[in-house]
Amino acid sequence: MMMQGRSSSPDLESSAESRQLEMDVLVGYILLGGVLLSMLLIVIGLVWKYIESGGVRLDYELAGMNLFQFVISEVHIAVLGEIRPRLLINMGIVVLMLTPFFRVLASMVYFFVVLKNWKYTVFTLFVLLVLTGSLFLR
Amino acid sequence: MIPFHLLFPVAILAGFVGAMSGMGGGIILIPALTLLGVDIKHAIAISILSVIATSSGSASAYVRDHITNLKVGMFLEMFTIVGALAGAAITLVSSTRPLYIAFGGVLLGSWLALLLVGHESWHSVTNQDGITRWLELEGSYPDQVLGQTIHYKARRAYLGAPLMFGAGVIAGLLGIGAGAVKVLIHDLVMGLPPKVSTTTSNLIIGVTALAGTSVYLAAGLISPGLAAPVILGVVLGAFLGTRLLVRLSNQSVRRFFLLVLLILAVEMIVRGIRGA
Repeated sequence: MMMQGRSSSPDLESSAESRQLEMDVLVGYILLGGVLLSMLLIVIGLVWKYIESGGVRLDYELAGMNLFQFVISEVHIAVLGEIRPRLLINMGIVVLMLTPFFRVLASMVYFFVVLKNWKYTVFTLFVLLVLTGSLFLR
Repeated sequence: MIPFHLLFPVAILAGFVGAMSGMGGGIILIPALTLLGVDIKHAIAISILSVIATSSGSASAYVRDHITNLKVGMFLEMFTIVGALAGAAITLVSSTRPLYIAFGGVLLGSWLALLLVGHESWHSVTNQDGITRWLELEGSYPDQVLGQTIHYKARRAYLGAPLMFGAGVIAGLLGIGAGAVKVLIHDLVMGLPPKVSTTTSNLIIGVTALAGTSVYLAAGLISPGLAAPVILGVVLGAFLGTRLLVRLSNQSVRRFFLLVLLILAVEMIVRGIRGA
């Protein structure tokens, strides 16, 4: 760890810095995992659609709804056992939209619990609240 | 409904050129989709959804390499997401012609920025102001080329924040990442090192795009039939574009991109004036 020698307790400083580095790794993997899962769901959905109908044409629109209504309607369909290409593609879109959301949530928890940085806990909480509000828009 | 075999290659191309030029996929994708007959508001909605994928994908690597400054990102996100919500709300109530003209204007601006792109070397800020210090906007990153850790401090967060709100408005309004605008703010106003500014802008773009997408989803403008091939194509194109590393330092690529940008800008503005 590179130090600038401005801290009176180098051990404490370097452990805070290594925790910051851990946070980078956590955030990085959330982003990577979310995007990969989303792409995988969409690819499976499209391939399945192709096998089923010989084409990948998807002629459906989503009625205006917020993300949470969208998730609930999809889960409802899944519970009924009607897993179809369309469901997988929709879930791919949901996972994609939730990826930055969970990134912010994880950062907030990290700032709060591990780094105990109140300033940034408040900042990330604000971002989280605005995002949650916008995902409930209707 | 546009067939898959047309939509998918166009999306790959948009993602490829977007990544290669550093401008993001939307700037090519939206004009291309409208030329294929997609209504501009649908094109904007699909584009901003695909921006979540491309920005998160590339941000993941930069964050894990400890180049991205999470604090700078988190602080500025507060402003860009509110801007994106406002921008997307304006698009919903706007008629289509001003959107074409605004998009053409942003393309022209990007063209100009790319033409005048400076090669000034970066110097660390020495006189950090009180607000920026209070915000803890500083950090260090491992520079692989120089083989050493670079320490830096940011400045003028009080100026960067409202400007980032404006960048958020552009992103939400036109469905693009507006990465070029964000990088300019990071570089020129806040004095961040170039690597930190591009990678941190990437991180911010993801949440900003999510805020915009939520507005378009609620308005019923996201159609999965259009979204699925476009997202896949743009992500694949962006992946290829970054892997091949045909950067703009290559003069012929740069000239080609400048030409494409100018043609698209003029074309969008003309369509806006004529009424598409």
